[in-house]
Amino acid sequence: MNIPIDRSNQRTARARWATWASRALWALAVVSTLATGMACYAARNTLQSAARSSEPVSAPQKTYGSKDAPIRLEVFSDFQCPSCRSFYEQTLRPMINDYVAAGKVYIVHRDYPLPMHRYGYESARWANAAARIGKFQDVEAALYDNQDAWAANGDIQKYVAAALSPSEFKRVGKLMEGCEDQPTASTTSTQAGGAAQANHGCAEDTYIDQDKALGSQIPVQATPTVVIYYKGKKYSAASGVVSWTILKQFFDQLLTQ
Amino acid sequence: MTTRVRGGVGYVLVTVGRLALAAVFLLAAYSKIRPQASMPWSIGSVKTSLALFALEVDSYQLLPAPAVSTVAQLLPPFELFLGLWLLSGVAVRVSALLTTLLLAGFFAVMVRSYALHLGINCGCFGPGEQLGPKTLMRDGSFLLVSIAVTIGAFLTRPRRSERSAAAIAPAAVSSEQTR
Repeated sequence: MNIPIDRSNQRTARARWATWASRALWALAVVSTLATGMACYAARNTLQSAARSSEPVSAPQKTYGSKDAPIRLEVFSDFQCPSCRSFYEQTLRPMINDYVAAGKVYIVHRDYPLPMHRYGYESARWANAAARIGKFQDVEAALYDNQDAWAANGDIQKYVAAALSPSEFKRVGKLMEGCEDQPTASTTSTQAGGAAQANHGCAEDTYIDQDKALGSQIPVQATPTVVIYYKGKKYSAASGVVSWTILKQFFDQLLTQ
Repeated sequence: MTTRVRGGVGYVLVTVGRLALAAVFLLAAYSKIRPQASMPWSIGSVKTSLALFALEVDSYQLLPAPAVSTVAQLLPPFELFLGLWLLSGVAVRVSALLTTLLLAGFFAVMVRSYALHLGINCGCFGPGEQLGPKTLMRDGSFLLVSIAVTIGAFLTRPRRSERSAAAIAPAAVSSEQTR
C-alpha cells in the first residue's frame, strides 16, 4: 500500500529537482552572458582607449595635399616671424586652394623657430601637438591669423583652443603636459649665450629639433625658406616672401617638362 | 684733366679690371642660365632656371609680378652680353660706364633689402646664396673696380690711329659742307 505513495513522492522530488536545476542553469546562463557582455564592453573600451592613446604617439602630420603630387614644397618657417605670416597668407593659402587641391603640389611644413622670437618655439610645440591629432592645418591658420595678438602676450593657448573642438583641445592639452612649465629653446638659448638647446622633457621638442636639424643641412639662414622638389629632384632653396603669381609660373614651368 | 696714352700702368690696370668685370658678368649670367637639379642643357631647362631666378628677383619685393618676370628673363642675357662686350674691349668707356651704372643699381637694391631685414637670397650668382655682409662687401668691391675702370677708361687717351681717325672724320664732314 505504501509503495505507490513513495513512488509519487519520489516523482515529485525529482520534478522539483529538475525545475530548480533548470532554473539554476538559466540563471547561470544569464549571469555568464551578462558577465561575457560586460567583459567584452570593458575590453572594447580598453582597446579604444589604447587606440586613442596610441594615436598621439604617431609623428605629427604637418602636410597639405597628396604625397603623390609631382611637386613637393618644404617650407621652413617660424610661427612668430612676420615674413612667414605674409608668405602663408599671400602665397601658401592660394596655393593650397589651387595647386594643392588639384594634386599638383604637396606642402610639408618644417619648424624653424628663430631664437629672436620669444614665443616661436612654444607656438611650434602647440602646432606639433595639434599635428599629432591631425589638426595641424587648423592650428597653423589660427596661429598666423592671430600672430600679432599672441606674439604680444604669449597667450597661444587661447587661439589654439579657438581653432579646435573642446575634446580635441583636451587631447592637445594632454600632449602639451610638461611642455609649458619648461623653458623653451629661445629662452634657453638666450641664457646659454646663443646656443639653441631645446628642453627634451617636452615630447614635441623632438619633432621641432628634427626639423631644425634638416634645416641646418640646407642650410636655412632665414625664414621662410622653401625647398622645391620636382619628381624627387631637389631645386635650390629660396628665401623670403615670394608671391604666388611668380611661384606658380615656376611650378607651371616645372610641370611642362 | 690730364690724359694718359695707352700702354702705361693705368692702361694695364684698366684692362685687368675690365677683364675681371667681364669674368664676373659671364659667371653671373652662366650661374643663372645653367640647368638646375642636374638637368641636361635644353630650352626647357634654361626656361626653368630663369623661372627659378624670378623667385629671387621677386623676393626683393620691389617690382610687380609682370616686371619681375621680364627682369628675370632679360637680366641674365644682358649680363652675358655685357660680359662679352667688356671682354672684346670695344668702346670701353661706354661698356665700363654701363657696368658701373648696373652694379650701382644692384648694390643699392641689395643695401635696401639688407637694411629692411628681408632675409632673402642675393641671386647674384644663381640661386641659394644668402644676402648678407659678405655678399654686400663682394658686390661693393665689384662696384669700386667698375668705377675705377670707368674713370681709367675716360682718362686713357685712344691710340694714335684712333685719334687720327677721329680727327679725319670731322675734316671730311667739313669738306662735304664746303662743297
